[in-house]
Amino acid sequence: MVPVRIFFATDIHGSEICWRKFLNAAAFYKADMVILGGDVTGKVMVPITAHNGYWEVVFGGERRRIESKEELEKIQTQIRNRGSYPAVMSPDELDHLSQAEGAVDERFGTEMLSSLDRWLDMADTKLGGGQVPCILNGGNDDFFEIDPVIESSPYVTFAEGKVLDLDGFHLVSMGWTNPTPWDTFREAPEEELAPRIEAVAGLIPDMERAIFNFHAPPYGTGLDEAPALDSNLRPIRGGVVMQPVGSKAVRDAIVRYQPMLSVHGHIHESRGVKKMGRTLAINPGSVYGDGVLQGALLELNAKKGKVTKYLLVNG
Amino acid sequence: MATEALGEERPALFLRKATGLVRGWSVRDSMVYAVLATNFVTLGIYEFTFAQAPFPTGQLITAVIISGIWVSFLVIAYTGLIVTIPRAGGDYVWQTRILGSGLGFVMAATGWWFILWLWAPIYGNILAVQLFEPLWATLKWTWPAGGAAWFGTNNGIFVVTLITIALAGLLVSIGMAGYARIQRWCIVGGLIGFLVVVALLLFNSHASFVSAFNQEAHNLFGVNNAYAATNHAAAKAGYTTHALGFGPLGPTMLLVPYMMFFLLWPNWGATLYGEIRGASDFRRVFTGMFGGLWITVILTVIFLLLVYKTIGWDFYQNANSLSYNLTPQFGIWPYPFMFAGWLVHNTAFQVALILVLSLWFFGWVGTLFLSSTRVIFAAAFDRVLPDRAAEVSEKRKVPVYSLVLMLLPAVGLAAIYAYSSTFRTYTLDAVLVIAVTYLFSSIAVVILPWRKPDLWRASPASKVKVLGVPIVPVSGVITIGLLGFCLYEWLFNNLYYVNNRSSLIYMGAMYVLAIVVFIAARVIRRRQGIDLGLINKEIPVE
Repeated sequence: MVPVRIFFATDIHGSEICWRKFLNAAAFYKADMVILGGDVTGKVMVPITAHNGYWEVVFGGERRRIESKEELEKIQTQIRNRGSYPAVMSPDELDHLSQAEGAVDERFGTEMLSSLDRWLDMADTKLGGGQVPCILNGGNDDFFEIDPVIESSPYVTFAEGKVLDLDGFHLVSMGWTNPTPWDTFREAPEEELAPRIEAVAGLIPDMERAIFNFHAPPYGTGLDEAPALDSNLRPIRGGVVMQPVGSKAVRDAIVRYQPMLSVHGHIHESRGVKKMGRTLAINPGSVYGDGVLQGALLELNAKKGKVTKYLLVNG
Repeated sequence: MATEALGEERPALFLRKATGLVRGWSVRDSMVYAVLATNFVTLGIYEFTFAQAPFPTGQLITAVIISGIWVSFLVIAYTGLIVTIPRAGGDYVWQTRILGSGLGFVMAATGWWFILWLWAPIYGNILAVQLFEPLWATLKWTWPAGGAAWFGTNNGIFVVTLITIALAGLLVSIGMAGYARIQRWCIVGGLIGFLVVVALLLFNSHASFVSAFNQEAHNLFGVNNAYAATNHAAAKAGYTTHALGFGPLGPTMLLVPYMMFFLLWPNWGATLYGEIRGASDFRRVFTGMFGGLWITVILTVIFLLLVYKTIGWDFYQNANSLSYNLTPQFGIWPYPFMFAGWLVHNTAFQVALILVLSLWFFGWVGTLFLSSTRVIFAAAFDRVLPDRAAEVSEKRKVPVYSLVLMLLPAVGLAAIYAYSSTFRTYTLDAVLVIAVTYLFSSIAVVILPWRKPDLWRASPASKVKVLGVPIVPVSGVITIGLLGFCLYEWLFNNLYYVNNRSSLIYMGAMYVLAIVVFIAARVIRRRQGIDLGLINKEIPVE
C-alpha cells in the first residue's frame, strides 16, 4: 500500500499570499491532499477612501495617496497578502462605518464572504478540478456564515463535524475551542466541548487510522503555550511568561482514543510536536502576517496505521 | 461581532473580535529586561578588573560612552528585525529565514547554546566573588579552610559553579512565570542597594573612605594601613596608574571590545508578541532596549565618577591590577561595593548590603539556559536534533533531555574552567562567539530589503528614515563595523587572551560540532526519506 502524503496548515487569517501558497503546496511538496485547519478569515479591515480622482489609505503606519487604478490594485494586493481586507469606500461611508452601530460588522462580513468566494474560485482552478483533495474547516475566529459558502464549493470539502475517508484514514474535524479572552465565535466551555468531540469520535470505525483535526491544541502539551496576558490583554513580563491555554477536553479525547495523528492550530506561537502515547500531535503554528505558510508535511502508512514521516516547514 | 476602530481623525483600520489581538508588551518590562541583561553590577564592574590593566592608558568612562553609542546602532538593527519578523527564537528565525537553514543553525547553536556552557562557570565565578567571598570575609567565617579565599581556589570555583548550574537548571524547570516575578523584585532591590552605595560614596569624603578602608581591612584581614599598601604593592609590581580623563582615543578604543562583556546584551530578551504591528511598535521596542542600555551606561558612569571622588581613581586601578595579576590584596576579588559598605562600621549593615546587591545576580542567572532550551526545541522541531530533545516530562513539566544537553557539558566545562587557570583567561570567548552570531544577524538586517522585499516594505522598520534613508539597514552596517572591530581586536591582539591556540581550538570546535550535527542530521534524515532542505524553502505564490 502506497503511503499517503498530507500537507496540513492552519490559521492563515485572511492572508491571500498564504492561501495561494496553500493551494500550491500539493504540487510543491508532492502531497496527495491538503488540509487547512481553521481560522481562514482575517481580523483586520483597511478602509481605502475614494476621492475625486484619487484614493487614500493608511497602511503599514503610512498615509498614502493613490493616483491610478494600477496602484490601487497593487496596494489592495499588499493589504490582502498581510491578511487584511481592503475596503474601498467614500469618506461619507467611512464616517458612517465609524459611527453607526453594527455597520462595521456588516461590512466586515461582506468583505470576508466576498474574499472567501474569490479564494474558492482560485482553488477550483489550482487544484486541477478536484484531482487533489482540499479540506477546509472553520476555526474559533471564523464566523458561521462561511460554513455554507465552503460547503457549496465543488472542489473544497468542508470538514466540520464529519468523518471523512482519506484513502483508508478517517479524518474528524472540530473548529470549536475552549474559551478565549476575546469571546470569539466557536468557543464553548470544556464540558460542552467533550460531548462535541464524543459525537464525532464515536463515528470513527477504526481509531488505529484516525486523524483528529481539532483547532484547539491539547492542554499542557507544549503545543498550546501562549504569552500570559494581564487584564488589558497586554503580555506580562515582556512576553517571556508563557502559559498553557489549550483544551483539556481535546487532551482527554486524545489520551482516551489514541488516534494515529492529531493536528491542531489556534496558538500561533506554539509550533511543535508532541508524542501522546501512540498519537503524534502537531501544531505547525502560524506566521501568516509575514506571508510565510507554516505547515506540517506528513506521510501516513495505512497498513501500519502510523505516521512514518513528518516535517514542519516554513513555506 | 464586536469591532474596534483604530486611527486618529478617521479610522485607519478596523479590527474585529478575534484571538490573539494583544497589545504590545510594556516598555518598562523590556527596559527592566535590558538593564538586567547588560548587568552593570555582575558583568560591568567584574569586567573592569580585567579591562583596565592590559590597557592602563585607556579611559574607562570614555570607552563606556563610546560603546553605548555604538551598541545603540545594534539596538536599532535588532529593533528592525524584531518588528519585521517578531518571532520567539530571534537570531535563529531571522538567520534561517534570511540567510539559510545551515548557517542559521550553526550560528544559533554556537551563539545561543554551546557557548552558554562557558557562561555557566563565568557566572559561577561572579557569584563566588560578589557574594560568597565578601560574605565570608565580612562574617570572618573560616570554614572551609582559607575562609573567603577558598572560593577563589579551584575547588571553590567548581563548587560555586555547580551551585550556579543547579540554580539555572532549577529555574528552567519551574518556568519563567514565577521567576519573572522574582526578577522584578531583584531589580528593585538591586537598585536600592546601588542607591545606598551611591549615597555612601557621595556623602563621604575621600579621607573618610581611606580611614574606613584601613580600619575594616585591619579588622577583617589584619592588614595595617591597607589603602597605601595596595597602592604600594601595585607600584612594586610595575603597574602605573593614569589620571581620569577622556583620552587618548587609541588605547581607549581598545577597551571597547572589553566593554562588550556587559554592554552587548540589551537585545537579549528581545521578542515581541502581537500580530497587529504599526509604526509605534518600532518606537516601543527601540525605547525598551535603548532605555535599558543607557540606564546601564549612566549607572556605570555614576559609579566610576564616585570611585574617582571617594574611593580614589589610582587606588581603584591598583586594586584591579593586583587582582588581574592574580595577587589580590586580601586574597579575594576587590569588590568595590564591599569597600563602600565599609564606610558603615556595622557587620549587619555590610552583610545586608552584600546580600541586597547580589540580587543583580539572582535576577539574571535564571535566564542562563533559557535561550538554549528554545534553540534545542526549535532544532528538534526542525528534525535537526532527535525528537526526544524537545520532550517535556508529563508529570513535572521538565524538559529533561534539553536540560541534559545543557547541564552535562556545562558541568564538564566548569571542571575545566575551575582547574585550569589558563582556560579561565578565555572569558572573552564567551562574548566573541555570540558576537559572531550577532554579526550574521546584522548582515541579515542589511540584506533584508533585497532578500525579502515584500516583508521589508510591509514592515514598520522600512518607514523609519533619516533624510530619506532607512536607518535600520544603515544601523546594521554600523553594527557590522562594531562587531568587525571587536572581532579583529579579539583575534589579533594578544591582550584579550582569546587568540591563543587552545582558545581558538576551543571556539573552533564549537563551530565544527554545530556543522557536524547539521550535516549528520541532513544525512540521517535523508536516509529516513525526510528532506531537511524543504524546511525553509518558499512555496511559489503563483
